[in-house]
Amino acid sequence: MLNIVRPKIEIRRVSKAYASDHGPVLALRDTDLAVGEGEFVSIVGPSGCGKSTLLYIVGGFLDADGDVIIDEKAIMGPGTDRGIVFQEYALFPWLTVEDNIGYGLDRQHVSATDRKKIIDRLIGVIGLTGFEKRYPRELSGGMKQRVAIARTLACDPAILLLDEPFGALDAQTREIMQDELLRIWLETQKTVLLVTHDVTEAVYLSNRICIMSARPGQIIEQFTVDLDRTRPREELVLSPDFNTIRNKVWLSVRRQALAAGQQNVDPS
Amino acid sequence: MLIRPEAVSAGAARLIGRMSPLVLFIALWYGACSSGLVNSEFLPTPTKVAAALADLVSGGEIARNLFVTLFRAAVGLALGSICGIWIGLMMARSERFKAYVTPIVGGTYSLPKSALIPLFALWFGIGNVTAIAAVFLACLLPMIVNTYHGVVTTPKVLVWSAQALGTTDRELPSQVLLRSAMPDIFTGLRIALGFSFVLAISTEMIASTSGIGKLIFLYGENGTYDYMFAAIACIVAVAFVADRVTLLGMHRLLRWHESAAADYERRRL
Amino acid sequence: MPQKSVLIPWRPVTSVVLLLLVWELAARAKLTPPLFLPPFSVVADQLCRSIADGSLTNDLALSLARAFGGLLVGTATGVACGLVMSRSRFAEWLIDPFVALGFPAPKIAFLPIFILWFGIGSSSKILLVAFACIFPVVIGTYNAARSVGRLFVWSALSLGSNRRSIFFHVILPACYPRIFTTFRIAVPVALITTFTAEMVAGGGGMGATLIYSQRFFESPTVFAYIVVMMCVGLVLDSALLSFQRRFLGWAEN
Repeated sequence: MLNIVRPKIEIRRVSKAYASDHGPVLALRDTDLAVGEGEFVSIVGPSGCGKSTLLYIVGGFLDADGDVIIDEKAIMGPGTDRGIVFQEYALFPWLTVEDNIGYGLDRQHVSATDRKKIIDRLIGVIGLTGFEKRYPRELSGGMKQRVAIARTLACDPAILLLDEPFGALDAQTREIMQDELLRIWLETQKTVLLVTHDVTEAVYLSNRICIMSARPGQIIEQFTVDLDRTRPREELVLSPDFNTIRNKVWLSVRRQALAAGQQNVDPS
Repeated sequence: MLIRPEAVSAGAARLIGRMSPLVLFIALWYGACSSGLVNSEFLPTPTKVAAALADLVSGGEIARNLFVTLFRAAVGLALGSICGIWIGLMMARSERFKAYVTPIVGGTYSLPKSALIPLFALWFGIGNVTAIAAVFLACLLPMIVNTYHGVVTTPKVLVWSAQALGTTDRELPSQVLLRSAMPDIFTGLRIALGFSFVLAISTEMIASTSGIGKLIFLYGENGTYDYMFAAIACIVAVAFVADRVTLLGMHRLLRWHESAAADYERRRL
Repeated sequence: MPQKSVLIPWRPVTSVVLLLLVWELAARAKLTPPLFLPPFSVVADQLCRSIADGSLTNDLALSLARAFGGLLVGTATGVACGLVMSRSRFAEWLIDPFVALGFPAPKIAFLPIFILWFGIGSSSKILLVAFACIFPVVIGTYNAARSVGRLFVWSALSLGSNRRSIFFHVILPACYPRIFTTFRIAVPVALITTFTAEMVAGGGGMGATLIYSQRFFESPTVFAYIVVMMCVGLVLDSALLSFQRRFLGWAEN
């Protein structure tokens, strides 16, 4: 395990049990993880291993045993320091694109001029100029996810939590969105925690990958990814060092998936 | 948005097309009366009814009583909706509240609200309060049920996103829960609107000295059936218009809803 | 709507018991005039007496007979109209404006017309109830028939069915659950209309006795009859719900 001095996020012996008809089900068991500031960490694992649950616990939406420490303080529920992006986009359908993006700003009673400035900038960043007054139901999946990301960025959280954000998108859109996310991370240097079942995505984006075991989830292996991300996607994805890492990670996840008795790992 | 003239005339033609069975009906009515098929004692001709209607409108008779009925319905509807929304929201947010309140709500579900009219007459006499109380209770239930359903089906990820963006627990209902529930709340409102008319008229027929319901009843007793038919036609028209206006308002306010486009196509019924 | 749990649901029971207790105590303490709120025990007593001397049973039987008569006629007509409307554009065009006008209208306003034509006996009430039930049933049936997934119809077509047999063997059965739900909605409509019509026009039945009791300030009877009406509604709805679960449980709803 890596030794990080003064980690941004510290997850200490987190366990989570659910009640079910057959008694309590342990989703996570004594999970430990430390994330340094500015790191991009992916959590990969078979379906149902608890990786999303872990993310929701870090986000403060679920209670759990153990501690989640952020900036050396235990968390007390959701907060604007941890932005979250869901696979389902979770845009407020009754608000337009610009009102969705401005939602967090409205909660903080930001002045109208500042609000407009931030929204205009973000709309430009995500490339949706001209769509400000549209409603979510008029947007495609990729556009919705962009708005969701912009909405989270508007509050400028230090940490970004992403729960399989591109899972609902088609392959081409997914790749475009991955590049966008990478660009945003390189620019803003935020701490990012990404949950995904797509191994290639994890290797492409993150500088550290955590493999989660089958239920009850624990982080059983970690890989450091040290690739030069200034190279274009075509070069990077086809290069041998990318594939060496990718194969190692894939194998590790596959072992977990087989251990869980599933064949659900996406070998893409 | 410019309104294209072709669209207007096409819309008007569609409307006339949809209304023509009614014209047919009136023609049949007239035929049945004038041919002696039906005793004109029991069914005044359309022309007589129309004349009676004109007289009522010009004499202010209709306007006065209509206003009373609508006032009672509107106040009961407003109070019932506000309380119903609040109770439905509380039931959705607190399991304890829901457990305590459900049997009371369930009990009123099976009780025909008009059965309470004599009770309210006993308590409040024969004025506005009785009618408003009856309307209030009738509107309460659909609003509670629909608000509860709307709030309870708010997607978790919406609530979580709102919380991550700084929404406090106090702001959550107004910012997220009630807005997500709006389509359901409006459905409940339309139902409650129908109930408000029924209860207002029922109360007036049973225990009141004013209002359209009373008016219809009186004309019936006096034997001036053309006026009776005219008053009934009036309230049917008003109820129809009120429902359509609500529907229109609903579509404007729910423009953002997934099915808003689909609903607008199905304008009928 | 009332919760059903294996253990005794202590919270709902608590609130009901509490309510009855408050009622009894408040009435006995003369917090309210006995005319307004007779003690629960007095109401219960009156209830037993009314059952014993047969007046309640007679009234109830009469009201239920009228309600069901009207319900049956209204539902049968409504389902037939709804189905015909779903198959024939002409029928749809012809009937639609009447349904659109009639649905939001307070049907009770038509009571004087029915009294004029059919007198103050049972027939006017049965017909009024039928009239009131038709509209929601037509709409519900129409929507149910129209919304049968076209994949069902296409599957049937590719399996060699003709249009007619598709209607009877695919569309109709697929509609049963929603039509039954519509029927369930019509039941309270039938009850309310019956009671209200009896209150306005007299002629025997629960509603008539209720209004007479009010006019003669016999509050225990008023309360007793209201309690009975509530129980009738409860019993009927539970019965229908369990019927639906048993025989129509295959529907995803």
